[in-house]
Amino acid sequence: MLNSTYRFVKRMHIFDISAYLFLMVGGLFLLIKGAEDQGYYWQWFRIPKYLYQIDEGRFIAGPILKGLKITLNLTWISLILTYIIGLVTALMRLSNSLLARGIARVYLEITRNTPLLVQIFFMYFVVAPILDIDRFFAGVLALSLFEGSYASEIYRSGIVAVNKGQWEASYTLGLSTYQNYRYIILPQAIRRILPPLTSQAVSLIKDSSLVSVIAIYEMTMQANEIASETFLVFEIFFTIAAIYLALTITLSQIVAYFEKRYRVVS
Amino acid sequence: MSAKEFGDYIINVDGIGKTFTNGVVALKDFSTNIRRSEVVVLIGPSGSGKSTFLRCLNGLEEIDTGTITIDGIPLDDNKKNRLEIRKEVGMVFQHFNLFPHLTVLRNITLAQMLVRKRTKNDAQDEAMQLLKKVGISDKVDAFPSQLSGGQQQRVAIARALAMKPKVMMFDEATSALDPEMIGEVLEVMKDLAIEGMTMVVVTHEMGFAREVSDWVIFMEDGMKVEEGTADHFFTEPKMDRTKLFLSQIL
Repeated sequence: MLNSTYRFVKRMHIFDISAYLFLMVGGLFLLIKGAEDQGYYWQWFRIPKYLYQIDEGRFIAGPILKGLKITLNLTWISLILTYIIGLVTALMRLSNSLLARGIARVYLEITRNTPLLVQIFFMYFVVAPILDIDRFFAGVLALSLFEGSYASEIYRSGIVAVNKGQWEASYTLGLSTYQNYRYIILPQAIRRILPPLTSQAVSLIKDSSLVSVIAIYEMTMQANEIASETFLVFEIFFTIAAIYLALTITLSQIVAYFEKRYRVVS
Repeated sequence: MSAKEFGDYIINVDGIGKTFTNGVVALKDFSTNIRRSEVVVLIGPSGSGKSTFLRCLNGLEEIDTGTITIDGIPLDDNKKNRLEIRKEVGMVFQHFNLFPHLTVLRNITLAQMLVRKRTKNDAQDEAMQLLKKVGISDKVDAFPSQLSGGQQQRVAIARALAMKPKVMMFDEATSALDPEMIGEVLEVMKDLAIEGMTMVVVTHEMGFAREVSDWVIFMEDGMKVEEGTADHFFTEPKMDRTKLFLSQIL
């Protein structure tokens, strides 16, 4: 009885795996077939030089890698700002001050209910000239304000989810509101919200491609240029998709490691 | 416990009332005075306002009417007064409320360092002494989740004591414990009483109330029904309601 169940489960796995492979191979086949039907001529051999070149033993980054560098810079600066803006907004929404709650509310409603693309244009054409910042920082600001509004909801849910008894215990011990957040509430909340905060970072990496519209030469912008010059549309965009994928998967893996390490049992 | 010496009044509660936002009246014109070193036990059916009373005493709940004064400091809107009272009144909760992300040692040293401004060494010495007193000095580096309920509650008591409070409040401190662990926590509470700590205790442990308390208050519907010494209260209660409650619980 047990043996047959075991074999049944095992068979199920084999079924799963073959179905998966079938879908994958099928998808790939359709893709190649589609390209062929259009008379598409695959030229993967032309791609490496847009990534990098070796000239007399010296490594020279191609346009895609240069774009990647700008994407990374955009992302990490925006990410830090996103997390700060998100935290501050969440605390404002939870504060007793009517003013703070009001400001947070208006900010959230505006950023979450308008398209990011519009916000990027607004930041570049309206805000940047006023603040006298360059296009890179206009992009950073637009991205971090947009993602920050989502991050704030994540923080808020994490903070609210911490057991009420924790607030009461730290209140009775005489901790100030700041000390309570700093030592008791946030360390517990952040451990809980690490997974959604990571997906926020993943969205940020992907959304960073949108700032190409204000001519920031990040990876997507570079890819666009190359594609329009060379017509290597599929090759170039598959390449940068793979790079985005590698970035986001690496990030998720790192966070998964930390999450495992600092898990709290409550 | 008749040989005990009491000091002056440390807690003055005058005519406090509390109605929750959902309309439930938790306390009605409740007054009581508690002397230094006195152990006062509050008993009564659930929903009678015992826990609310405790929570009002240190400002966890706002009172609507009346006044509360602790060691001469009025519990009012003044933040400084409030902080002073929070420091001087220790509280032990039904569900322990230890900080799950901190070790036992950190649980006890954190507030000492942040609020009492003690050095790390002083705070740790104090913590070690208290852990020895509550009988779990071998668990300093454990996390709360690794301890039994009884051990967690003893850590919580040590954490509150580390602030050197003038008053200790216990809000059904043994209600969430497995039966075999209730004794170890009551033992610690009894020791505290013998040392002369002023204690306000909400409990369903009638044995503890009888043996340790100096004064028993029986509450129902947010009001005091009857009060008296433990002897009087358990042997010759006057009110019918008290008799009924005791007959149900003993």
